[in-house]
Amino acid sequence: MAVRPIVLYPDPILKTPTALAPGLDAEVLSLVQDLVDTMHAGPGSVGVAAPQIGVSLRVCVVDVSENRRGKENNHGTLLMINPEILARSGAAVMREGCMSVPDYTGDVERATEVTVRFLEPGGETREITATGFEAVAIQHEIDHLDGFLFLDRITSLKTGLFRRKNYK
Amino acid sequence: MTDCRKANLAHYAVTIIGKDRPGIVAQTAEILYRLGCNIEDSSCTMLGGQFATIYILSHELPFQRELLEEGFSSISATTDLSAFIRELKDDEVCYQEPQGELCLVSVYGSDKPGIVYKVTRELADRGVNITDLNTKLIGTPESPVYVLMLEAALPEGMSVDDAALLLENLRKELNVEISVRLITPVAL
Repeated sequence: MAVRPIVLYPDPILKTPTALAPGLDAEVLSLVQDLVDTMHAGPGSVGVAAPQIGVSLRVCVVDVSENRRGKENNHGTLLMINPEILARSGAAVMREGCMSVPDYTGDVERATEVTVRFLEPGGETREITATGFEAVAIQHEIDHLDGFLFLDRITSLKTGLFRRKNYK
Repeated sequence: MTDCRKANLAHYAVTIIGKDRPGIVAQTAEILYRLGCNIEDSSCTMLGGQFATIYILSHELPFQRELLEEGFSSISATTDLSAFIRELKDDEVCYQEPQGELCLVSVYGSDKPGIVYKVTRELADRGVNITDLNTKLIGTPESPVYVLMLEAALPEGMSVDDAALLLENLRKELNVEISVRLITPVAL
């Protein structure tokens, strides 16, 4: 259990697609716990992916239940090992910020509903359909696992990239 | 001196505008590069048939403003570009982060004089701080539609619903559509 420092761009690990987690070994289980601890330590953070703490494995965590946008509609703490998005639908724009790219936010279009399958630390494969803010958070974190930052998703610098303001 | 301004740097804002053609950015950026200036922030866009450029730039001291003026007067003399140079004071260098909820106000309807003035005056009178504003004339020549989109930071105590209510009278007076939505960023 540890809060790990957040890796900042331009660290190349953030632009490198991650390797599949080999299974539920001690390293992966410890990684999941570190991700949860780091997420909870971040200011208003609702998700962290392994590359953001320097580990290039396909593991991330998401929890929007404490955020006002996700409070009413969430699956609690999602511990996602080797997650895979099976289906996407809808589209909406939300202004996103990322702990690995401090000081900037950008308008990103994401699917409003995603179905995602992943392995849980307990060994079960789980499939959920998330909507709204939780769907956005899942897509943002899985993007990290594929080597994408929200900066890769912005369509217009003029209207899409903004200096970050404080958020809660 | 504000915290974010480095004591060893001079800062300037350079505004350039002229009839659009290929090469304006390259030409103006080359002048800055050759003078050793850093472009710290910039915005370049088409407004009508004009290409408008704003550079916020810095240079290590000592630096003479005259060098900038000479550089840009030379292109003004040989091209149809107009340049304006403004030296920035300490409190003008740093971006002042807007406080309060950030919202996007969309206004559109039949083109008529006064849309920008009346909307922004209403907001200004209530302490709403506009951080970005764009307008476009769309539609057809016979039936032009005016579109205004602005981003604004609401003062403490004002909600998005309050802002929408504030503009409700204008919606009727100007016969336009007005919507206000929250765009405060999310951290992921």
